[in-house]
Amino acid sequence: MTTAPTHEAPVAPEPTDSQAPFARRVGVAISRVARHAGVPIVIALVVGAIVLLLTGNDPLEVYGRLATEAFGTPSRINATLAATTPILFTAIAAAFAYRAGVFTVGVEGSFVLGGLTASVIGSQMGDVPPVVSILLPLLGATVAGGLVAVVPAILRSLWQVDEVVTTLMFNFIVTGLAGWSVQSFFLAQGQANSSTDYVTENAELPALAPPGQTSWGLIIALVLLAGYAIWMRYSTLGFEFRAVGSAPRFSVAQGLRVRTVLATALVGAGVIGGIGGGSHALGLVHRYSEGFSANFGFTGIAIALLARFNPIGILIGAILFGALNAAGATVQLFINLPVQIIDVLQGTVMIFAVAVFALPKFRKLRAGRAERKRS
Amino acid sequence: MIDLLLASAITLSVPLVLAALGGAIHRRAGIVNIGLEAHMILGALIGAVVSGATGNWAAGALAGLIAGGLSGLLMNVVITRLKGNEIIVGLGYNIVMFGVIGYVLRAAFGVSGTLQVDGLQRMPKLVIPGIADVPVLGALISGKDPLFWLCIVLVPVLAWLLRSTRWGVRLRATGASESASASLGLRTLAIRDGAGMVAGALAALGGVALSLGTVGLFNENMTAGRGYVALAAFYFGRSKPLPTALACLLFGFFDALQIRLQTVGGFNADIISTLPYIAVVVVLALTGIRQHYRGARTLS
Repeated sequence: MTTAPTHEAPVAPEPTDSQAPFARRVGVAISRVARHAGVPIVIALVVGAIVLLLTGNDPLEVYGRLATEAFGTPSRINATLAATTPILFTAIAAAFAYRAGVFTVGVEGSFVLGGLTASVIGSQMGDVPPVVSILLPLLGATVAGGLVAVVPAILRSLWQVDEVVTTLMFNFIVTGLAGWSVQSFFLAQGQANSSTDYVTENAELPALAPPGQTSWGLIIALVLLAGYAIWMRYSTLGFEFRAVGSAPRFSVAQGLRVRTVLATALVGAGVIGGIGGGSHALGLVHRYSEGFSANFGFTGIAIALLARFNPIGILIGAILFGALNAAGATVQLFINLPVQIIDVLQGTVMIFAVAVFALPKFRKLRAGRAERKRS
Repeated sequence: MIDLLLASAITLSVPLVLAALGGAIHRRAGIVNIGLEAHMILGALIGAVVSGATGNWAAGALAGLIAGGLSGLLMNVVITRLKGNEIIVGLGYNIVMFGVIGYVLRAAFGVSGTLQVDGLQRMPKLVIPGIADVPVLGALISGKDPLFWLCIVLVPVLAWLLRSTRWGVRLRATGASESASASLGLRTLAIRDGAGMVAGALAALGGVALSLGTVGLFNENMTAGRGYVALAAFYFGRSKPLPTALACLLFGFFDALQIRLQTVGGFNADIISTLPYIAVVVVLALTGIRQHYRGARTLS
């Protein structure tokens, strides 16, 4: 049985030394994020500055305004955390699969179907006891998110069908199916754009600090993040994930459960994405409408890659992207600035997150030095 | 009825064919181009603006072609020279391009979404006297814009270029095995950059076909996922020019059918829009399964 994937995960993870004390590992993780994310962010800021200059805006003023809009006051920090929540979910989902070398781009689809399912179930929760009324929609979202990934998972683990294209295609299939089912079955009356009914009040995830929008969804995401970290480091299957991700052929030869790993990675990413969509629906928007996911699945990929799948890095990256989203939404109230500049910044970071910045000579030099050290 | 359906299916598949052929070339050189959507929307915008400024559709198409080539090169350089992963770079490139275009539309042109270009010249419809009135044939080939005829020419020419020329053989060799090609002294990165330029230029022409074809204006959502349908098409057609073009024709037919059924009513557009993607998953699954069992037999 060959399980050599046609694509490799775009960047290699860099595990921290498990013997080192926790505080040291946190420090190492932060410095790594700074190193890996620094260059892409600087490039993105330069690209953004060029676009801003060409249209007669002062980049420094805009960036300063973005920073105050993201972190300036407690209520803005709250808005930033609310924007962080969905992409934290999708980033965990992406990292989960990529650690096993499974290159899924289907989290977007799981997020959308999870959101739709949670909205539909949540709108029927009128007479259901309090906690169940939240758990039931979330459970539905979890199942829906996993279902999106089932076909690619079967194809990948049994017959080595390239998961990149199948998961990408499933995003569009899911978007079409969601649009169709909303139009045909769940359309709310008297709404301008096609959307479902609002979820009932007892199905909403409560806000953490009431006027602000950050909900318990953030707590769920943080628990998932911690779970991801512990699972990868301490569980048997987590070990097999890392082994398959870093040396697939060796793992086959060693008799590791490669098929289980591949299927779990794909379905697991779908499940996490589904919970993310459900939390987004119950915690923030309270219904499903067209354009439910603003590329959250793809932003999550960028975050996971920037962080090299490290949990602390994922959290930092998600807050960074969340800050951009939150600031972009309100900055246009103060200065005449189209919100699309945020897409430019985020997309540029995504592109350069996977680019290798090493002059060839320098790379050779470093390889030589490493060789000498080993001998 | 059937004439109308065929005519609109062909009109709708012209942008797809152009983009998918570009993507197929790039794929044969070993790179999956996710950024076709971005090149298309850029071509549509540049084509519309330049056609408006010069009052000449050909100038618009040429400008779109050049812009697309540069855009394709830019994206490809990040993949080849900076070793960026093709999928991530493509996804990110789409986000950036739509961001830049959305931003420029609002900041520089002062419109949100739709740009009406004054003095824009649309592509002429070439009505062929004599054939125009023949029942089915007339609908198939008469009253089409020049880019349709470009597609007709491109399919055999590209097939020949790939099969029989030095460029084509080197390109396919690079795609089949980059390390083997490099060891034979081929400049694989340059070959891939060239393929990326071709892909960008053709996809941008597909965009031009959208903005200068039937409607004669620019909208930031006018590609509506056609770049991804093109991706589906060259996967469906296994990156060979003729099968890819036929796949586009099939997907264009789905699109025409969906518009037609919308006016009749009773059928949902969203469901039909998923057909190309389902088709690709099915094809990938079937080829994957077949290869798997064939591989298992020969190995044992």
